[in-house]
Amino acid sequence: MTLRLDILLFIAALGGVSLFCRFGGYVLMRYVRFTPPIEAGLKAAPLAVMCAIVAPAAFRGGLLEWLALAAILVASRFFSNDLVTAMIGLAIVAGGRAFGTV
Amino acid sequence: MNGTFTKAGLQRGFLAAQPLALGIFVYGIAFGLLCIEARITLAESMTMSAVVYSGSAQVVAIQSVQSGQPPVGAALLGVLGTILLLNARYLLYGASIRPWLAQSPPHLAYPTLLMLGDGNYVLSMKRRLEGETDAGFILGSGLATFVPWVGGTAIGLTGTTYLVDPSKLALDFLLVAFSAAMGASMAKSKGDLPMVVTACLVSIALSQLSPGIAIFGAAVAACCVAAWLSTRVSAPATTEEKAAS
Repeated sequence: MTLRLDILLFIAALGGVSLFCRFGGYVLMRYVRFTPPIEAGLKAAPLAVMCAIVAPAAFRGGLLEWLALAAILVASRFFSNDLVTAMIGLAIVAGGRAFGTV
Repeated sequence: MNGTFTKAGLQRGFLAAQPLALGIFVYGIAFGLLCIEARITLAESMTMSAVVYSGSAQVVAIQSVQSGQPPVGAALLGVLGTILLLNARYLLYGASIRPWLAQSPPHLAYPTLLMLGDGNYVLSMKRRLEGETDAGFILGSGLATFVPWVGGTAIGLTGTTYLVDPSKLALDFLLVAFSAAMGASMAKSKGDLPMVVTACLVSIALSQLSPGIAIFGAAVAACCVAAWLSTRVSAPATTEEKAAS
């Protein structure tokens, strides 16, 4: 369990940047008045993050990933449970890769 | 909405995030293997995973370590600047989660922020929209992904190679599938469309740089569009506004 000082200092610097990002927005909003535009902007963040995770994967992905995402979109209309919906997409990708499709 | 922070909420979050944990665990192992190449010890690697807890940022950091020697001077500043950009999305996560989390005492709120990751952030915010009021859910779902990340790092350091190929199990598609499922059930109003289109286009444009930067850029752009649209009286209601009414 060796801990070297230079590496620890490096990790501390990384941790400082990480803490700034993790606490910065939270602390800043303590001093910002929640006007309707700010509230509307922040409320849009979760959906935007989801889109930003999915869109590049879809853009880079092949037929299998497109099929899986299409199946997730369709399944979300029939199942209220996100886990079930996501598993359908995962099964398509895993199944397709296992059988060497795409 | 009055906020609570209970053990029951923590347990709910922990269980709800279990499907994400397997993917995080495997990527933790991959990070551990990178640490071996960089000649970082087990204790140092686990400390980094616990303190930084950001896959993309840690990969950049570990690649800057040459034969066990950390970068210094301008090289160090370059690494820190890159990590600031990669982790800038957490500024937005913290800002947007504040209305919920700030109802909890600081000794619970700040550790919760340390456990925040992409997966448990989107999961928690989705549950919030569905009526979850217990901020313990955020910490619970964060722990469910934090523990496998640190544990996976440790196992990777032992030199364990994959028993199975993670891409065969579609583990690289895990977060994408969950985000797509949650996003599809969340965006059901026409009012969400401008933000969805903006986020998709900006994230694709920035995805060559890094996933973290793409998420940050897309979220900032979509938030700006939402803020601007809210100033227009005739703008159609978003899913959030419909849920609230």
